[in-house]
Amino acid sequence: MSFLAPLFLLGAAAIAGPILFHLIARTTRDRTLFSSLRFLRPSPPRLTRKSRIEHWLLLALRCLALALLALAFARPFLRQPTPPNAAQGPARRTVLLLDTSASMRRPDLWKDARARAERHIREASPSDQFAILTFDRTTALRLSFQQWEAASPADRTAVAIAALDTLQPSWFATHLGPALVRAAEELSDTDVSQEGVRRRVILVSDLQEGARLDPLQSYEWPKGIEVVPDPVKPATIGNASIQLLADSPDADRGNDPVLRVRIANSADAKQEQFRVTWGANATANGAPTPPPTEVYVPPGQARILPLAVPTNAPSLSGTASNTASLRVASIALSGDNEPFDNTLFVHPPQPAQLNVLYLGNDPVTEARQPLFFLARALPETRRQTVRISASRPTASPSTESLDNARLIVATDSLPDTLADALRSRIEAGQTVVFAPASAAASPTLARLLGVPGTSLVDEKPTRYAMLGELDFRHPLLAPFADPRFSDFTRIHYWRYRRFATPLPTNATVITRFDTGTPAWIDFPIGRGRLLFLASGWSTADSQFALSSKFVPWLYSLLDLAGASTTPALHPNVGDPIPLPTGRTEPLTLRRPDGSTTNLPVSLDRFTETDQPGTWWLGEGPTAIPVAVNLDPSESRTAPLSVEQLEKLGVQLDASLSSAAAPTPKPAGIPPALEAESRQKLWRWIIIGALAVLIIESLVAGITARRVSTAAQPA
Amino acid sequence: MSIRSLELRARAVVEGFWNGLHRSPYHGFSVEFTEYRQYTPGDDPRHVDWRVYARSDRHYIKKFEDETNLRCHLLLDRSRSMEFGTLSHTKAQYAATLAATFAHFLHQQGDAIGLMTFDEQVRELLPARHRPGHLRHVYHAIESPAAGTSTQLGTPIERAADLLHKRGMVILISDFLADPAELEKPLLRLAAIGHEICAFQILDPAERDFSFKESSLFEDAESGNTLQIDPAAARDGYLERFNAHQQSLAALCARVGVSWHPIATDRPLGLALFDFLQDRARRGRIIRRAS
Repeated sequence: MSFLAPLFLLGAAAIAGPILFHLIARTTRDRTLFSSLRFLRPSPPRLTRKSRIEHWLLLALRCLALALLALAFARPFLRQPTPPNAAQGPARRTVLLLDTSASMRRPDLWKDARARAERHIREASPSDQFAILTFDRTTALRLSFQQWEAASPADRTAVAIAALDTLQPSWFATHLGPALVRAAEELSDTDVSQEGVRRRVILVSDLQEGARLDPLQSYEWPKGIEVVPDPVKPATIGNASIQLLADSPDADRGNDPVLRVRIANSADAKQEQFRVTWGANATANGAPTPPPTEVYVPPGQARILPLAVPTNAPSLSGTASNTASLRVASIALSGDNEPFDNTLFVHPPQPAQLNVLYLGNDPVTEARQPLFFLARALPETRRQTVRISASRPTASPSTESLDNARLIVATDSLPDTLADALRSRIEAGQTVVFAPASAAASPTLARLLGVPGTSLVDEKPTRYAMLGELDFRHPLLAPFADPRFSDFTRIHYWRYRRFATPLPTNATVITRFDTGTPAWIDFPIGRGRLLFLASGWSTADSQFALSSKFVPWLYSLLDLAGASTTPALHPNVGDPIPLPTGRTEPLTLRRPDGSTTNLPVSLDRFTETDQPGTWWLGEGPTAIPVAVNLDPSESRTAPLSVEQLEKLGVQLDASLSSAAAPTPKPAGIPPALEAESRQKLWRWIIIGALAVLIIESLVAGITARRVSTAAQPA
Repeated sequence: MSIRSLELRARAVVEGFWNGLHRSPYHGFSVEFTEYRQYTPGDDPRHVDWRVYARSDRHYIKKFEDETNLRCHLLLDRSRSMEFGTLSHTKAQYAATLAATFAHFLHQQGDAIGLMTFDEQVRELLPARHRPGHLRHVYHAIESPAAGTSTQLGTPIERAADLLHKRGMVILISDFLADPAELEKPLLRLAAIGHEICAFQILDPAERDFSFKESSLFEDAESGNTLQIDPAAARDGYLERFNAHQQSLAALCARVGVSWHPIATDRPLGLALFDFLQDRARRGRIIRRAS
């Protein structure tokens, strides 16, 4: 017999205790009540009786109980050679689920995980079935049960380890839920319906808090499949992360472009002071790098930090624009133990360029005419730059200017060719606003509408007309639907044009004057639309340009024309990148590591974003940068409690977690721990000790009764 | 002692005694001792027992002796030393049952019963009466809990001598674990009044034999003093002193004219009652012979 913890045998020395107590018990302090002591004289017990031990049976039982306890704690086992197959027990069907997510890039984690995976493979007996799945954002089968079975029993271990050879942690997020479901399905999808086959999933992962478990909520975990978590532990604890936030609603205010980043610190972190620095490429032309920003984030909290976007010197940028000339940059977080998630790639939003073509005869300097107001109502912002180009209708604007114009505003009669050109643009999807200054423009309207004979009549109300009926459901008026903004009655109209002919059936009347005459009419034509205004915003027609509604209305008009700026695109690793539409030739995609791919014309989105960094769509100065960052959930590296898996219904086998798993030992004689844990002799010894204690209690009870009887006078 | 009610216990003892009397060779004993004697001229013919005459054709007079107004006073010790007991019952319980038995027995015979309980002083005093309900008062007084801390036999007996002027019978029930010297004077005084005194000493068998085995700390029930005692070593000395005490008590009683009855609590109560009556019969014969 051998012992796992022989030092506990020293506990047997406690046997001396009962022996001592049995000797000491002779000098009892029991009290006996007696009627009168008048006939008694003090007589202390005789010393000669002290050395005598009574109740030998009790003493023996007590010593035996103590000895058995000491023996049980020493965890004895019988060292005997065991046939290797018998030790393995029944056949097992095992799926090794290996985490390859970005958080495994932390120092030594992958090495450790790999070693554990190899150990599990080596522990598989020839009668076992083994499969290997890896998971990050997706789950991949690296070695199937069939491949395992196909290999000869001697080669199986080598085949399985070879399947691990090419593996490296990716940059993707941890989708643990789908991976567990897939592993369970692999195990459930069994054609070997033998009884007694143990099915288990060995999960080698860092089990981070940010792992996604959603699919488990709606998945009923199959009975009989156990998950054995074998978590790898990082050398350091705590992690801080940096994440780009969406622009705040007031991002347009102020002149300094600002990026908002969120610095989060994990609850178990030791560090609290961090530093945020712009990458080396944040400035160009030798401009000084902005100083680092210190930020204090207590553990478990997060701070939102506004970061001023560094700009080049005005003289170098060549324009007094307040727009950041910075296209791409990286922001680094320092002061953190785990560097894998400390770089944030950004490309500050570039202002959208919107072209508006004005076709009219009025000069821009004429303060009563529409162009004057139009040119001043749409100032340049960080989000968009509206470029208004005016052209006389007779000057025949270039095709390019027509094509580039997001919105075309016409206020006068147009030559037929130009009207036809506009009509074709509308059909192609552009938006045209036609606000004729007089009914003389009827032929142009007829051509634009494609309804010959359409004619307009000038109307002049006795005093003024107001907008009496407004359809706030129309996108043009939707921003004014709130009762605070829906009062248009202060706008007086002096003149307007009325359709002398019936309106086409598909026309939508957006507003009517209080006289009932349609004021704004929406004509959908082809893929675009023609917006007819019965009265324009020249001061001769109305007060509209001077009202508070005018500027919002123009922006609403731009939105209607599809000019709304899209928010900056900041996908995470694995998210698709939408590709520009209407390409005529393959698009070159440049990865952060410099490699390029040609994307076919038919492709409308690129899905294989497998690393963080700046990806470029196209080449040269027109290339579009896309900053791809690590999934923020991957930065939540605090350990996930296995109880959470249990709550989601996953059946765990904690006893076989890595801590208790035996390390490989020479075959033949089983290792001490394994032999002991298999034999579990200590349990029987404890039961024996309990039995001895019960007998001791009985004997002590009987003895005490006998003693008390003897104490009574005969 | 298995019967909880004192009254029922006393009644059981007395009735058991009466039932057993039919088979007893000592037929015809009682406090009102009767005898038949030959009719002599001058006797009141009302006392002729005509039934005996019918059977034997001789005239016998049914003689009643000491037939009226026997006043019996029960003096019961309720001190703490009486609370000792190694059997299922204590000395106090035994003594109370004995007192109740006497009370029931005497009441049944129509005698007046009085009660005085005491420890270091007189606690309860019920004058001798024979009334319906009086017996119940006596039982109640006997059953009241003991409160005393020590036994001062002299004082209560002195007090009894002060209170009991009319001659009668005094039954003193105690363990008499007190100095005999202080008893002599009060007992003499009580006897001088003309009382017939019976002393019943209630002892636990352990007090009599000192049959303890284990060495332990002995605690005095009254004073609370403790002594480390090894019974094996202390037994001989104890028995010697205890027997000397008993002898001096017996001598004192003989000297004063008190009938002395040491009773161990393991002795059936009926036998105690029997002892008492037998002793009275003997005393009666002695007195008659003396007269």
